[in-house]
Amino acid sequence: MDSTLERAAELLARARLPVIGGLFTDINGATAALSLAEKLGGVIDHAASAGMSRASRVMRETGVTPASFGEVRNRTDTVVVIGEGPLARDPELLDRLFPGEPGLPRPGKNKRELILVGCGKVKTPKGVPASALDGKTSVPELVALLAAATREGRFDMRDKTLCKKIEAAGERLRRSAFAVFVYDPAELAEPVLHTVLETVRLLVKTTRAAIFSLAAPGNGEGVNLCSTWTCGLPVRTSFAREVPENNKWAYETERLLKSGEADALLWIDALEGAPAERPMGVPAIVLTSKPVKAGRGDVVIEVGEAGVDHDAALFLPPIAGIGLVKAARANSNKPTAAHVLNSIAALIDQRAA
Amino acid sequence: MLTQLKGGRIIDPAHDRDGVGDLYIENGRIVEKPEGREPDEVHDVTGKIVMAGAVDVHSHIAGTNVTLGRQLMPELPLLAAEGGQPILPSPAAWGSYATGIRYAEMGYTTVIEPAMIPTHAIEAHAELAAIPIIDVAALVILGNDDYTLGLLRKGKAKSDELRDYVAWTLSHSKALGLKVINAGGSEAFKFNARTFDLDEEVPEYGVTSRGIVEAMQKAVEDLGVPHPPHVHCNNLGIAGNVETAVATLEATQGRPIHFAHVQFYGYGDEGEKGFSSGAPRLMEAVNKHKNATVDVGQVMFGQTITISGDILRQFDGRRAANPKKWIISQGDGNGTGVVPYKYKSKSFVNALQWAIGLEIFLLADDPWRVLFSTDHPNGALFIRYPEIFHLLMDRDERARWLDGLPEAARQMSNLAGIARELTLSELAVITRAAPAKLLGLKDRGHLAPGAIADIAVYTEQKNKTKMFSSADLVFKSGNLVVRKGKVVRVTWGRCYHVEPGFDPQIEKRVKAFYDRYYGVDPSWFGVDNAITHRPDRFATVPCLN
Repeated sequence: MDSTLERAAELLARARLPVIGGLFTDINGATAALSLAEKLGGVIDHAASAGMSRASRVMRETGVTPASFGEVRNRTDTVVVIGEGPLARDPELLDRLFPGEPGLPRPGKNKRELILVGCGKVKTPKGVPASALDGKTSVPELVALLAAATREGRFDMRDKTLCKKIEAAGERLRRSAFAVFVYDPAELAEPVLHTVLETVRLLVKTTRAAIFSLAAPGNGEGVNLCSTWTCGLPVRTSFAREVPENNKWAYETERLLKSGEADALLWIDALEGAPAERPMGVPAIVLTSKPVKAGRGDVVIEVGEAGVDHDAALFLPPIAGIGLVKAARANSNKPTAAHVLNSIAALIDQRAA
Repeated sequence: MLTQLKGGRIIDPAHDRDGVGDLYIENGRIVEKPEGREPDEVHDVTGKIVMAGAVDVHSHIAGTNVTLGRQLMPELPLLAAEGGQPILPSPAAWGSYATGIRYAEMGYTTVIEPAMIPTHAIEAHAELAAIPIIDVAALVILGNDDYTLGLLRKGKAKSDELRDYVAWTLSHSKALGLKVINAGGSEAFKFNARTFDLDEEVPEYGVTSRGIVEAMQKAVEDLGVPHPPHVHCNNLGIAGNVETAVATLEATQGRPIHFAHVQFYGYGDEGEKGFSSGAPRLMEAVNKHKNATVDVGQVMFGQTITISGDILRQFDGRRAANPKKWIISQGDGNGTGVVPYKYKSKSFVNALQWAIGLEIFLLADDPWRVLFSTDHPNGALFIRYPEIFHLLMDRDERARWLDGLPEAARQMSNLAGIARELTLSELAVITRAAPAKLLGLKDRGHLAPGAIADIAVYTEQKNKTKMFSSADLVFKSGNLVVRKGKVVRVTWGRCYHVEPGFDPQIEKRVKAFYDRYYGVDPSWFGVDNAITHRPDRFATVPCLN
C-alpha cells in the first residue's frame, strides 16, 4: 500500500495539470479531493457533471426556483414530468410523489394531476389523472409549446389532438395552486432549462410553482455543494491559478485529457451502484471500491464504499440535502477515499519539504 | 507554557475594567498572575488596546442557504471588490476557508450561524467545520414546519409535546439555540399568501404568528436553553413596520427574547415618500422592554446578496434583485430566498436604512441589549464591520458620510442631531461581552481568569476603520493565530450546542411523521459527533434547568 501511495504521490506531484475526476465519493472524500486539487493546482470534475454544470450555469444566469421533494409530494396539485430521464433514473418516483394517502395541508382544491411531457410509455399511479403530451414532437418543442400555452401565446400545429392537449395543460398550469416541473438536467439543453424556469417565473406572479431537478448520480449534488462552499465554485473548476476558475467546457475531464492539457488523472469511484464512467485510454491513479482490471500504467488503490463500508455524508434527494448514511457492513477495514487522498497529500508535502 | 501580554490597555466591560495592566495565558485559558513564575513568552503590548476576541451573534456563514447564495452569485466578491470593498476578487473569498481567516484577522473568535435548517443540519455543520480558527455555533429554525404547526393547531395546542420537540430538534441538529423566522409566514406563503401579520392565522392550522412565538418562548424557557428564542419578525423591510416590531415587543410578556436585525423593522411611513426613520419609536420600546435584546443589522452601501428563510419577504424582494436573478427555494419548513442586492448611497431608501441602523445603535440606553450585526451578508458583508465601528465611534466620520447622502434622506433621519460616540468599552460590550452573555457562552467575551484565551490586540488610532481592520495580535484559545493583521497559524475551533432532555416518546412520533409525509427517517439528518475527524469538535453548553 505504502509504495502504491508513493507512486501515486510521485505521479501527481510531477504532473503539469492533474485532473481529479469521477468523484463518486462522500463529502469527506470530496473535501479531501478539493484540498488535494488546490495543493496540486489541478482541476476537479465529477463523472456526472454534464447536467449539473449546465444547471449551475443556468442558475448563475437567471436564478432558480426549486422545491424540495417533500413539498412536491405533499403540496402540489400539478406535477409536470419532462423527458424520459426522470422515470428512467428513478422508476418509483411517481409512486413516491403520489403516495395514495393524504399528505400535509396543501393549497387549493384541485385534485392532484400529472402531465407527462415526452416521457414515452409510463405507468401512472392508480387514481391519478394524467395527460401525456407526446407523439412525434421532440421534448424541446413540447416544452416550448407548453410554455406558450401557459402564457396564452398563439401557436398552431398539424396534430390537432396534441395541440388541444397542450392548450389544456397550459390552462391547467394557470389554474394550479402549486405546479412543479420535474426533469433531469442531464437530458435537457440549456435553452430548454431556461424555458422551464421562465414559465415558473411567469406562474409565480399569481400562484405557486417550482422545479424539481433530479439529483445527479454518484453524490453529484453533494460533491458540487462541497466544492461550492469550499472554493465558491461548483465542479469543473481549475486551481491552476491563484484564483479558482470554473468553466464547464474547459475543465471537463475528457476534453482535458484528449487535448493533452491535463497529463495525469486521479479517478475516484467509491460508491455503491453503477460505476463512474472513466475516460478510456488514459492511465490513471484509481481509487475504487469496485473490482477493476488495472490497465497499463494504472495505479489502483482499493478503498471502502461510502455508506457501505463506512458511514458517509451523501446528498439524499428525499431531504433535498446532505444526510448521513450509516455503514451497512460492520468492521470493514478498507480505508476511506478521504483517508487515502489525505495520505497522498501528506506524501506530496513530504516530497516538497 | 505561560504567556504574558504586558502593559496593554485592557478593556473588559464585563468586569468594569478599562486600564493598563497585564494578562496571563496558560493552557488556552486566561489565568491569574502566577506567583513566583516568569512567563515563557512575553508580548509587549504597551500602548495597545487589549480586548476579548469578538463574538458575532448573527452572521450567515454556513449551510444550505448560504451555499445557495454562492451558487447563484460566485461573482459577489468580484463586484464587491470593484466597488471598493476590502475583499479579494475571487469566488473563493466567500468560501468557508476565507471566512475564518478574515474574521480572525479582525479579531473575531466566535461566530454564530443563525439559520440552520433542521433537515439540512449535516451540511451546516460540515460547512462550519470547514471554517478555520473561529469557534462557531448554529441556531436551528422552527416555527414554519408542519410538525410544530400541528402541535399548535388552534384549540388543540400541545405545549408539552412542543417542548419535547424543540428539545429533540436542538439536540438532533446540535444547535445552540432556536431561530424563528417570520413565524407562520413561510407556511402561509405555501398557500400563496404574499403578506403575513402578527395576528394573522396560518392557513389550515389556525395558530397566529404571535401564538407561535409565545409558544416557542415558553418552550425554550422551560427547557432552560440559555439563548432565548432568536426571532425574525413579520413584515421585514416594509415602510411603517415599526408598529409590528413594537407590537411584537409588547407581546413578549416579559419573557426573554432576542430580535434579529431590527434595523429592517425601524421604518416609519411618514413624509412625502411614505418612508421615514422609526428608530426613536423602536428604541423607546426596546429601551423599555428589558427582557428583550436586539441585534441591529446595519446596512452599508455597496454590492451584497440577501439570504433569508423569510421566503415570503424574499419573494417580494425579488423585484429589486441586482443583478437581476434570484432563488426562491421552496423547502420543508421555512424554505429560502436568495436575492442579490446593491445598497446605493444615492438611493433615498438605502440612505435612510443606513441612517436608521446607526440611530438604533446610538439611541440605545443599554448597549448590553443592542448588539452589533450587519446580518451578514444581508445588510453588508462582515468585512465592513470596521467601517461601522468607525461611524459609531466618530461623529465627524458620520457627518462626512451624511454629506454625501440625498437631502430627502437626511431630512427623514435624526442621525445628524445625535452627538453620541461609542467608547471602546461600549464597543467591547456590543461586539464581545453582550453577545457572549446572551448566548450563554460564559467562558468568553471577557478577560477574567478562567475565560478562554480569545484575545484581540489593536493599535489605537483615530481612524477606527484601520484600527479594527487588522488586529496586531489575535490569540485563539491561547494560540497566537494573527500577527500584524495576517494569519500566522491556522487552527481549528469548536462548535457549541445544547442538549436539553426530552421525553423519548417524541422520537417515535417524529419518526412516524417523517415516514408518513416524507418517506424519510430522521436519523438521516441527525448530526453525529463523527461529522469531523476532530474528536473534540463539539462542546455542550449546559442548560439552566
